[in-house]
Amino acid sequence: MNFTNLQIEIESLPKVEAVNLKPIAKSYFKIIALNKLALYAGLIVLVFGGRYFMEKNEAVQFNLWYILSAVSVFCILNFVIGYLAFKKRKYAVREHDVIYSKGLIIHSIITVPMSRIQHVEESRSWLARYLDLATLNIYTAGEAGSDLSIKGLPYLEAKEIKEIISSKVNGTH
Amino acid sequence: MARTDFSHPIRQSSKGIIIIFAFNALKFFKKFFVLLIAFGVSILRQKSLAGVTPMMLLLGLIGVLVIILIIAILKYLNFKFHLSKDDFHLATGIINKDNTIIPKSKIQNVYLKQNFLQQIINVVSVKIETAGDKKSEIEISALDKPTALLLKKKLFTKDTVETDEIITENEALEQPNVFFRVTPKRLFLEGVSQNHFKSFLLIVTFAFGLYSESKEFIEELELEQHLEGYENLDETTILNLIITNVIIVIGVVIVSFLFSVVKTFIINFNLEVVEHQKTVEINKGLFNKVSLSLTPSRIQNLVIKTNRVKRYFNLHSLSVKQAMVNAKQQKNFKIVALEKEQLNYLIDKLLTYYNEDSEQGKPRPYFMRISIFEMLLFGLIINGLSVGFFGLVMLWINVIFIPFAVLYVYYAYKKAYYKISENFVTIGSGVIDTTTNILEIHKIQAVRLKHTIFQKRMNISSVVISTASKSVTIPYINDEEALKIYNYLLFKVESQDKDWM
Repeated sequence: MNFTNLQIEIESLPKVEAVNLKPIAKSYFKIIALNKLALYAGLIVLVFGGRYFMEKNEAVQFNLWYILSAVSVFCILNFVIGYLAFKKRKYAVREHDVIYSKGLIIHSIITVPMSRIQHVEESRSWLARYLDLATLNIYTAGEAGSDLSIKGLPYLEAKEIKEIISSKVNGTH
Repeated sequence: MARTDFSHPIRQSSKGIIIIFAFNALKFFKKFFVLLIAFGVSILRQKSLAGVTPMMLLLGLIGVLVIILIIAILKYLNFKFHLSKDDFHLATGIINKDNTIIPKSKIQNVYLKQNFLQQIINVVSVKIETAGDKKSEIEISALDKPTALLLKKKLFTKDTVETDEIITENEALEQPNVFFRVTPKRLFLEGVSQNHFKSFLLIVTFAFGLYSESKEFIEELELEQHLEGYENLDETTILNLIITNVIIVIGVVIVSFLFSVVKTFIINFNLEVVEHQKTVEINKGLFNKVSLSLTPSRIQNLVIKTNRVKRYFNLHSLSVKQAMVNAKQQKNFKIVALEKEQLNYLIDKLLTYYNEDSEQGKPRPYFMRISIFEMLLFGLIINGLSVGFFGLVMLWINVIFIPFAVLYVYYAYKKAYYKISENFVTIGSGVIDTTTNILEIHKIQAVRLKHTIFQKRMNISSVVISTASKSVTIPYINDEEALKIYNYLLFKVESQDKDWM
């Protein structure tokens, strides 16, 4: 039996912080922006709709501009944060695992070992098809907490990663 | 013991008709309960509605019951199962015939269950779970016990050429060792020493809801003068108020006490842990008897809970989180009222070579800041609500709340720790309870490192470790430490070629 039990030098272990994470495709921000704009439009319509229905009530009409400015401040803040958070979406594929980091206010780096991946799928909305992007969904056996969804990958790259992972997953089992 | 031959399609016990009938009738009445009541009442009142008399309604009901009975009989007749070499076959369906084949190797769990009715007519139901979604679950609702046990055994033996003799031999060889049986006294202690806060809060909110509902009613009863008396605040009324409140609180405490004790009793009645060669079996329940087996390879997390009072009585509870078990069953994998030695023995049995002696790490004191913040928020809500409802007098609530909050923060931090050894991660937490989470490193599915934008400046991160059944968190530690743990865990998972199940 070929069994060794060498001491592990913690310092010499592969470091996740040393990995050069790659940002997702820039064009994905267009999708985020479009989604956000749709949301803002909905909010503004809601404000005007609210005014329309409460027109008889004098106090509400008076407050309209306050509400509108509050909504627009929220929108602008949300947009800025959205943009900064977009910059934080990065990923990397190592020999034995997949790394994905995201989040501005709550930043997280999640790593899923290849040997724990159950299956991979790649999906594209029509907008993503138009921009030549794809979403990579990686499923583990765990609860929802350990599944990974990397959005906004260039289509070709998503396919490549999917191939790599699939061959690894099927190879080891 | 007559051996049932599983190689040909057989039906379940004929008592199954009763079970199916009762189950379907119950389902029917649950669905149409409101409608039936509304219809029935209006008919009784007006003697007839659209030409329907009470008699006709009754006849209609009987008719429905007869139809359900016929369906039950047909279902029973069309429900056949058998075992082939390495598959389990099941044919069901009255009009649409379904044929299910499950390879034995894909069966994850087999449970034996007995609800109240099944206990009366002395049958058990066998539940077969596979790894897929919830729909792939199969339940045979009425088998007599020896047959069910035999079926369970056969489902788990993968050896196909096994003859009956070998099985009997195995039986003789494998003397099931009843390792632990709970006594009513210990069960009672377990119920009493529980964390009553949850049931207390539940009952308080219930009582409060009742009070605000009946407020108008009280006013209608012309108790207004009585209530107005409170505002005068002369000494007797204050005393009265305090006494009533104390009585109410004591009442609620007693009720929540009873609630917990009775619940513990019903769920864990006759709890028994049986040790087999490889697996551990749990039997328990008063109205719903369940029999479950634990397979060490499938265990993902162990959660040990105790508290100060329980430690005094030497009571510990152990929850076992397994992979591929649905959430409802997951709750049943809990063994209560274990003694310390028994607990350690079980842990040893379920996790080989578990040792606790490794360096213990603690979260940064920042942990307390978060707890304080939580308590402040909670305090604000409590104060706001009570002042809003009862006036400034209720600020006195802080006399109780502030010490509680201080103790909360103190104990939450005191009990938080983590240990990472060669093969295991142990995480301690809890405030009133002392909770210990244990997981094997090679069962980790994913590791996550996270910090908020504020924590980043202070070099604080948390590590979230997910297994197939649960995620646990090592909260608020130094960035460097967190990364070290992160890298170490990943290295362990990826360098060993061990399966997680």
